[in-house]
Amino acid sequence: MSNVQVATGVINLSEGDPGLVNEIKELGGEELLECIQCAKCAAACPMVLAGFSFFNKRVIHAILLGLRDALLDDSSIWACQSCNRCTEVCPREVNPFEIIQAMRRVAIREFALPTLSIEGLKSLYDTGHAVYLAGAGSTRAKVGLPDKPPSTVANLEALKELQAIIRQTALADLGIIPMGESDVTETCEV
Amino acid sequence: MKVGFFVGCNTAFNRPDLEQAVRYAFPALGIELDNLEGQSCCPSWGTMPSVDVVGWCAVGARNHTIAEEKGLDILTVCGSCYGSLAESKYKMDINPEVKASVNEILKKIGREYKGTSKVRLAHYYLYHELGPDRIREALKHRLDGLTVALQPGCHTLWPSKVYYDKEEDPFHPRVLKEMCEALGATVGYYTRLLDCCGMGAMRSTDMEKAFKLVEKKLVSMKEEVNPDLIVTGCSSCLIQFDTAQEFLRSGKKINFEIPVLHFMQILALCLGADREQVTGLAKTDVGPVVNRILAG
Repeated sequence: MSNVQVATGVINLSEGDPGLVNEIKELGGEELLECIQCAKCAAACPMVLAGFSFFNKRVIHAILLGLRDALLDDSSIWACQSCNRCTEVCPREVNPFEIIQAMRRVAIREFALPTLSIEGLKSLYDTGHAVYLAGAGSTRAKVGLPDKPPSTVANLEALKELQAIIRQTALADLGIIPMGESDVTETCEV
Repeated sequence: MKVGFFVGCNTAFNRPDLEQAVRYAFPALGIELDNLEGQSCCPSWGTMPSVDVVGWCAVGARNHTIAEEKGLDILTVCGSCYGSLAESKYKMDINPEVKASVNEILKKIGREYKGTSKVRLAHYYLYHELGPDRIREALKHRLDGLTVALQPGCHTLWPSKVYYDKEEDPFHPRVLKEMCEALGATVGYYTRLLDCCGMGAMRSTDMEKAFKLVEKKLVSMKEEVNPDLIVTGCSSCLIQFDTAQEFLRSGKKINFEIPVLHFMQILALCLGADREQVTGLAKTDVGPVVNRILAG
């Protein structure tokens, strides 16, 4: 929410973006308009318990009002745990989790994503793991395991397969991370 | 019996002692593990799932096809891997358009998603395929006299429609409880049992808020159960409970420490695994409780 809105507690509905609803529906939030704002999802949501400004019910409400900037200026959508309590309890099968994911997809298309997500995507592309610790070899050795797990980090062909897949996805069109040929060297902890 | 072990990121790089526990316990129970060579990240929620549905499913599907080619189910100890893989499978299985788009992408690397492998969480797999009685019979050590508090983990329960191994009622989970009781433990109930631990995207976004959740849970456990040990069903919950306590103590939020282990680590100990190899990376002091388990 902009400072003016916070200061006055007033939301100017005429400034809402009516296109946001369709964007959300196209990016995976197909059931958005089924929501009746009953708040069962909010009662189950860890983000409410932790005190975030936006959570499932409020994200949906803000989308319906077209409050794009309010949602993009706030980090709440990135704190969603994907726990899916909301999906379980929703009496209208809105799948609120998927709507929060769809809002993230809107944000990413405006390059409004957290640094950690960019690093996670880069690490996924470069190593095959969103969370990768280059120095983990010694920890693994300590408990009697080989330096590397039997994943893309130990198998260049597999990594190249994964990279070929990612280059075919929407991520490649967005240009958020470089997608060249690379070796497994970086460290990333998300 | 044979199953494909999907090791994931956090287990492989942060808590390989948990990976080693799985690699010990399954063969000890007569179940062979396949490495699913060339597996990648599930992918985790903040990456491909936050970009688009088809890309998420395509990266997931590559992992699924590795298991499908071998005719195996996919086994994890991580709630996020379990959730992401089960959800990508569900999306492709119910939506022919998503499946077709994914297979169009997979064609480039000569793979095809069919949907023939199931996604299984380790303790649910053991519960359903072996059952608590057969596990009880295989134990070398037991948890008799120990009281535990459980942390089932969000993704082990919800959304129940995407999981093959279901709880009768996901808001009253029983599998982890019955499995711990099979090891001889007394399982205490506490009112915040079903709360989220705060690990994951929330901790990455706002650590202070995320730690409020784990603090509430720890205080509830301490006051209502006073457990000898916290048992988690998820590797992320394991990391959160194991690492947050020191922060909370130094911030004067709590004044106690409760040792934390994943169910598979405790099972491996009870089946005779080397304690350093399967619990050696814990930050909480698990030494005394491991001594009691090995004496039991």
